[in-house]
Amino acid sequence: MTWMAAEAVARAAHVCRRLTLTARHGVGDRVGDRRVPGRPQPSGMEVEAFRPYAPGDDVRHVDWNAAARTGGLVTRRFTAERAVRFDVLLDASASMDAPADDGKLDAVRELATALAWMGLAAGDAVALHALGRASGPVCRHRASAARAADWLATLGVAGELDLGPALATHARRHPGPAVSFVVSDLMAEPAGIEAGVHALRRARHAVALLHVLGPSDLDPMRHLTAGVLQDVETGATHSIALTPATCARHAALLAEHANALAGMAARAGTAYVRIATDESLATVLVERLASAGIVRRR
Amino acid sequence: MSPVAGFANPWGALALATLGVLLWLHRRDRRRGVVTVSSLFLWRRVPAAPLERRRRLRIDPLLVARLAAMLALVATFVRPWVAGTAARVEAPAHVVVLDLSASMRTRERDGTRFDAARARAAALADAGGDTMLLVAGVRPRVALRWSADPMLVRRALETLEPLDLAAGLDAAVALALGEAGARPGTAVVVLTDEPPTASALGADELARVDWVQLGRSDDNAGIAALTVGAQALSELADTSATIEVRNWAHIPRTVRLDVRVGDRPWAERTLELPARGAATVRLDHPPAAGTLVARLDGGDAFAADDVARAWVPTRAPLDVLVVSDAPGALVELVRAVRGARVTTSTVAAYGGGGAAAGRVVVFDGVVPVAEPSTPALYVAPPPGSPRCGTSARVRDAAVIDWDDGHPLLRGLGSLASLVVAGASALADVPWGTAVAHAAADTRAFPFLLAGELDGRRTACLAAGPSSPIASTDQMSLVVLTLATLGWLQEGATAGATAPLVVRTGEVVPAPRGDADDASVRVAGEPPVLTVERVGAFHVGGRLVLASLLDPRESDVGRDGPNEWPASVAVGGAAGPRDAREIAGPLAALAAVLLALEWAVWLGRRA
Repeated sequence: MTWMAAEAVARAAHVCRRLTLTARHGVGDRVGDRRVPGRPQPSGMEVEAFRPYAPGDDVRHVDWNAAARTGGLVTRRFTAERAVRFDVLLDASASMDAPADDGKLDAVRELATALAWMGLAAGDAVALHALGRASGPVCRHRASAARAADWLATLGVAGELDLGPALATHARRHPGPAVSFVVSDLMAEPAGIEAGVHALRRARHAVALLHVLGPSDLDPMRHLTAGVLQDVETGATHSIALTPATCARHAALLAEHANALAGMAARAGTAYVRIATDESLATVLVERLASAGIVRRR
Repeated sequence: MSPVAGFANPWGALALATLGVLLWLHRRDRRRGVVTVSSLFLWRRVPAAPLERRRRLRIDPLLVARLAAMLALVATFVRPWVAGTAARVEAPAHVVVLDLSASMRTRERDGTRFDAARARAAALADAGGDTMLLVAGVRPRVALRWSADPMLVRRALETLEPLDLAAGLDAAVALALGEAGARPGTAVVVLTDEPPTASALGADELARVDWVQLGRSDDNAGIAALTVGAQALSELADTSATIEVRNWAHIPRTVRLDVRVGDRPWAERTLELPARGAATVRLDHPPAAGTLVARLDGGDAFAADDVARAWVPTRAPLDVLVVSDAPGALVELVRAVRGARVTTSTVAAYGGGGAAAGRVVVFDGVVPVAEPSTPALYVAPPPGSPRCGTSARVRDAAVIDWDDGHPLLRGLGSLASLVVAGASALADVPWGTAVAHAAADTRAFPFLLAGELDGRRTACLAAGPSSPIASTDQMSLVVLTLATLGWLQEGATAGATAPLVVRTGEVVPAPRGDADDASVRVAGEPPVLTVERVGAFHVGGRLVLASLLDPRESDVGRDGPNEWPASVAVGGAAGPRDAREIAGPLAALAAVLLALEWAVWLGRRA
């Protein structure tokens, strides 16, 4: 494990020591450690419900006290214990590292490490994927957090990414059930992203869209100094007079885009969280993700 | 009317072009600067707008700070000055260079040439304006820093006197130009008896100097050369002195030469000298050893070359102890020297250290059990001899190189024909230097080593005479052996106490100790000395005899007083006398503006 990866894991472990990931959807049938209420089953550790005895039920689970009170046989039902697979889907296109001062790539690495650590700490499986590229490691044990951090540390950004089709491709290759965190700047048409989200949902993925924005997105007047902007992925340029009015127009467009994404997420039944790279990891986890129901105290 | 302000370096205004460059770079950055962003997804919806001209020139605090800093730097570069309250008094500053060479002592009708130079410098100071005095002696020296007080200048001038040597005038003029360059409008005035054509300075430098040549008289007859001939191993009676007396004037003259050794007269001559001619006087049989003083009684205009000093060395008979198990040709050779006293001893009988004072001990092919306390010569030391580092015996060796400048070889001529059948291969030693080198078939090695060991002269000779002197074909080796013995004998008698005979201005190694006169300057490690006046002095107890003997100074005749005014101003345009440069405050302002620019840039980055 590299020194950087070790540091990232240590930091994530410290910040997430009282946090865990929630998984209301995307839970499959594989037995695991995560208790999933609402799916009572014949055996388990924690009694969740009762039902009249039916032939085939294990007689060891007949509640004789209830039988004495009601005069009929009643068997105990237990909370289901399942393993959850968390897929962390990372946008590794060149846009995640431009401008370099924005620190989006570092923020994404830190956030992904924290997500992986929380999943692994709860005994769940965590799979890391760079969208549009080969899959990353699948980790199933807390000790594997270092491997995940190593992979994240070496993750480079390059090229273009069409997010919608990439999500659809992932859904096809890695069907659920799973909980998928899509970490991206989401600078694409909401309709295209929505198609990809729907593909994930069809593949039994619970989806959370984590929208990462840098200072140059949020305050271009302060962080951009020249008037010709160049798309890092396509190389296309666009001349802009960086006046306050222009930047206000950009801010309005960004807000409009974020609202469109939030609306799309609501329609698709997914979570949507906007994250700024200058926010601390603790703030992101405790305020942003917790309020979206993605993270809770354990 | 003089200006109240100006620029000392107006050409520096060309640097204003850098402001244009800054503006161009700024506009280019704003026009062509490309910023990479993560996506144009949102920006494309903002209408593209080519930068308007007005916006390209938008007032940017960073640009303003840069322009202001650059402007301050350019202002510093042009060196602006402003006139003070005394600006209306027109009086230029002067750097006066005074030639202190010996010829400035020459008497003219109304005093010496240096008196004329002194009066000229005082007149410049009286005219007003700051004055700096530089003197050209052995090296240039500032005699008086800037002063506007004529009395102070006069007092400084009164303390100055010419020296008895040739001065380095060019270095002083170069220094004066440097001082004047730092003060615009300053004139450099050179007061000398040399014409500018005698200077090695370039034409551009001479063009910035007011050159004043003083003096006309060529009335001088002086001693141009004085040599004492005293061969090694010779007696006092064999010593001779040769004196060249020269008339530098353009008319014949008669002079009287008086030569003394110590307080005993040697000779008196009356010499008829033709115009610009010379006479040579050779004197034999000195009455005694000691300081030789040759004096001319010519009553000419220049006295520094009328006296010269030399040294007649003491001569003692050669006294040699030869230590050898088989004394042969070497003993015979020493005995052939007139007046020599030779004793021999075997190695076993030699007890070391017991030799009489003044005796030279020669070890002929043997290694002594005990070291002598007097000068020693090791001839053909056998292998293993620790003193000379002998490593082996070699055959058919020939001398291939030698140090002409070593006193041991002085006057000896070439050693190229010195070939020996057998020699001891010596090695370099820490106590001495290799005076001659030889080569055999397979190796080269020192043939003669000489130096001082524990304060006594010591030499090692790789081979000695092997055949009787009457029938030898090795005369070079015989002469070399005798010269070595003579050098050792000299160390045994006079040695380190012999006087230093020098010419004024000459730099020579000096004995350790203080000088008894300010005219002798001793400095450095190892110490060297320079004598500024003719005469006899003492340094660390050792006698120093100094004479001029410099025809450049003795030839005092000049074409007459003449002046070459400067054709180019020093340091650019002249300002008022009390012009005050304000480049310093401007430089400070530039530094502040640069710091401000840096702060703005940092703030923009953060």
